[in-house]
Amino acid sequence: MADRDMAWFCAYTPVELIRAAGFRPVRRFGDPHGLEAADTYLHPALCPYVRACLAQALDQAPPHHAMFVNCCDGMRRLHDAWKALFPESFAFLMDLPRRTDERGREALGREFARLLGALEEFAGRRVTPDDLLRACREERELQLAYRRTVEGLWGAARVAAAQAAQEDRAPAVEAADHVSTGVPVLLSGNLLNPRGLLSILERAGARVVWADLCNGDRPFTAEAPVTGADRPRILRELAARYLERHPCARMADGERRYRLLVERARECGALGVIYASLKFCDSYLYDFPRLRERLRREEIPVLRLESDYADGHAGQLLTRVEAFLEMIAG
Amino acid sequence: MSAERENGLLEAIKERYLEKLSPEIFRSRLFWKTVEGLARSPLNRPQWKADRVSLSHFIRSTRDAYLGKAPVVWCNLLVPSELVHGLGCLPFYPEMAAAVVASAGLAPRFIDRAVEEEFSSDACSYHRCLLGCAVEGFLPRPDLLLSVNYPCDSAVLSFAFLSELYGVPHLVVDVPLPGREEDLPLLAGQLEEAASEMARLSGRDREGMLRGLAESIELSNRALSYLRRVEEMRKRDDCTLDGKDAMGNVSVLAGCMGSEAGVEFYRLLAEELRERGCRGPRSLRLMWMHLKPWYAQSIFQSLERHGARLVCEEYTHATWEPMDPGDPFVSLAAKLESHFLVGPAERRAAHLARLAEEYRVDGAIHFNHWGCRQSCGGAPLVKRALQEKGVPVLIIDGDCVDQREYQEGQISTRLEAFLESLR
Ligand code: SF4
Ligand code: SF4
Repeated sequence: MADRDMAWFCAYTPVELIRAAGFRPVRRFGDPHGLEAADTYLHPALCPYVRACLAQALDQAPPHHAMFVNCCDGMRRLHDAWKALFPESFAFLMDLPRRTDERGREALGREFARLLGALEEFAGRRVTPDDLLRACREERELQLAYRRTVEGLWGAARVAAAQAAQEDRAPAVEAADHVSTGVPVLLSGNLLNPRGLLSILERAGARVVWADLCNGDRPFTAEAPVTGADRPRILRELAARYLERHPCARMADGERRYRLLVERARECGALGVIYASLKFCDSYLYDFPRLRERLRREEIPVLRLESDYADGHAGQLLTRVEAFLEMIAG
Repeated sequence: MSAERENGLLEAIKERYLEKLSPEIFRSRLFWKTVEGLARSPLNRPQWKADRVSLSHFIRSTRDAYLGKAPVVWCNLLVPSELVHGLGCLPFYPEMAAAVVASAGLAPRFIDRAVEEEFSSDACSYHRCLLGCAVEGFLPRPDLLLSVNYPCDSAVLSFAFLSELYGVPHLVVDVPLPGREEDLPLLAGQLEEAASEMARLSGRDREGMLRGLAESIELSNRALSYLRRVEEMRKRDDCTLDGKDAMGNVSVLAGCMGSEAGVEFYRLLAEELRERGCRGPRSLRLMWMHLKPWYAQSIFQSLERHGARLVCEEYTHATWEPMDPGDPFVSLAAKLESHFLVGPAERRAAHLARLAEEYRVDGAIHFNHWGCRQSCGGAPLVKRALQEKGVPVLIIDGDCVDQREYQEGQISTRLEAFLESLR
């Protein structure tokens, strides 16, 4: 990794702060095919994304500067293993409240300040309010650029574009990526491999019109730009923006999440929801029965799938997906 | 209820009621009269006098919860019980209930019920079991659900489901990461918010709330001083209290602090430990990490055969300092924050390394409970930290609640080999 690269993993990472301190925020997606390399440090019944990220880092040359979010047991354990393995690199564990109300905003704003302080110390430079606002503007530009890029893009191509934006590189979109056939569905879950399960969905004839994934559309849903005259206010506002986004299942406001999901499904003309999540992610394991109930009430059909991130066996799901699509298109 | 220790009693209850097991049974006064009668009868042969105290406390408060005698607040392991006792509410720890169900050998049926509800079998079986019990209507109805974001994600998430199931509010207390002392007031604010909600339920005004909390904190401090005595005595060579029994005290540590029963329990235990003295010869001293399979005894029999004793356990030791009854929320915030499971695993590793040192252990066993991301996830780090201190570690995979997942043969082979190597 380049000296200035700062790896990040959870979609609640305030990349603006990393940028403002002069680093390049690069989300890591790990090596989905080499999880076993992480076995000595992380139990095999932990989130495969987390294990893939550690496996990839073990294979790369230092430095391993990284910033972690205390969003779930799995991520916390990734931080623990990372810190033990790469003690020379920068590692910061940022707390993330579950509440998104006033108390949540206050807690997150303070946490942003702590992270910024740690980044400043590591970078050996002071970040001014102007630096912060500039970074927020840049990040917003990137988000808007993402939204423009994915117009008319579905499924795997859409998620690949989101990943490119999170990896801080320009997406390579081919003309062939713009296809308009298939049964429109909304995909909801944690994080999925665009070259794995997503391509199976496409083969089965699904057109994923919105990807409620943390490596999909979800992180690009904040609306208003960040303003503010001084550091505390800017950080608080930034915290509010993060908490306003379409929430991840680990947040406490399930009700809002379900409402947004239903609205989104209606808005983009999805005929059903495909709920797919990585194995061993408790946030999504416990969420499903509640969401299923809610979708049933709204008469939105749902299919549940699971992914091991590499998705070598996902072909076996083909018939189930086809049957579901046939049913909803029927 | 402290789990398998009252097995004779559990068997007697099962014998009478297993056929008729239904949610209504638990709401019948007759059932509770019978249970209380059995608990007083010779069928209940607790190993320690203190166990009688905790048992009758849990029977009484569980009965009251089913009969709706006071507002019922469901809590996960780390919710400080002082907060609930102090407000005149009944704390109910469903994770502990799952352990009781498991020790009665009844968990599979409820676990399967949760899986039918589409809770994945990759989720912690404490939670699948309690969710199955809840869906079937077997648990006392909550008036409020209160969860702390540690030790694990499971509680916060399954309580969110329960909140909808029962149509009652769910408050999540977010404990800040360690090293953020300036955030303790934020935590104290959340505890105060929860307390006000409970005061509303039990009809207390602010003054009554503060008085109740001052009392429960006093009681908790007294229990703590006895617990410290217990801990000192357990450090002796061949202390008579073995960890396989002491592990059940996790329910007392979680649920009785702030009640008279908590004080009485640790007072009696300290007294009896002193009276009974120690017995020789010096055995192999082991530490147990995470919790035990509540339904299985064989694992402990093989420890005994090898002359090994569990001298300390991860979950049954005090991690906090005496509190200030005049400043309940800040005190309880500090108690919560001091827990070794709050934050990175290095904190847990440090807690276990300290225990290993203070209790002079010869080896340590980590029970990897399937689906517990926090403990299994941290096990490799804990293992390394202990090994650096010269403490050999055995990690065994299993399930604390689901007896079908217990690989008897495999576990005993590995355990025997480990114990041999320590000799
Ligand atoms: S699934 Fe949620 S908590 Fe997990 S990395 Fe994504 S945004 Fe973060
Ligand atoms: S065993 Fe682990 S996952 Fe299950 S309730 Fe306990 S801490 Fe949580």
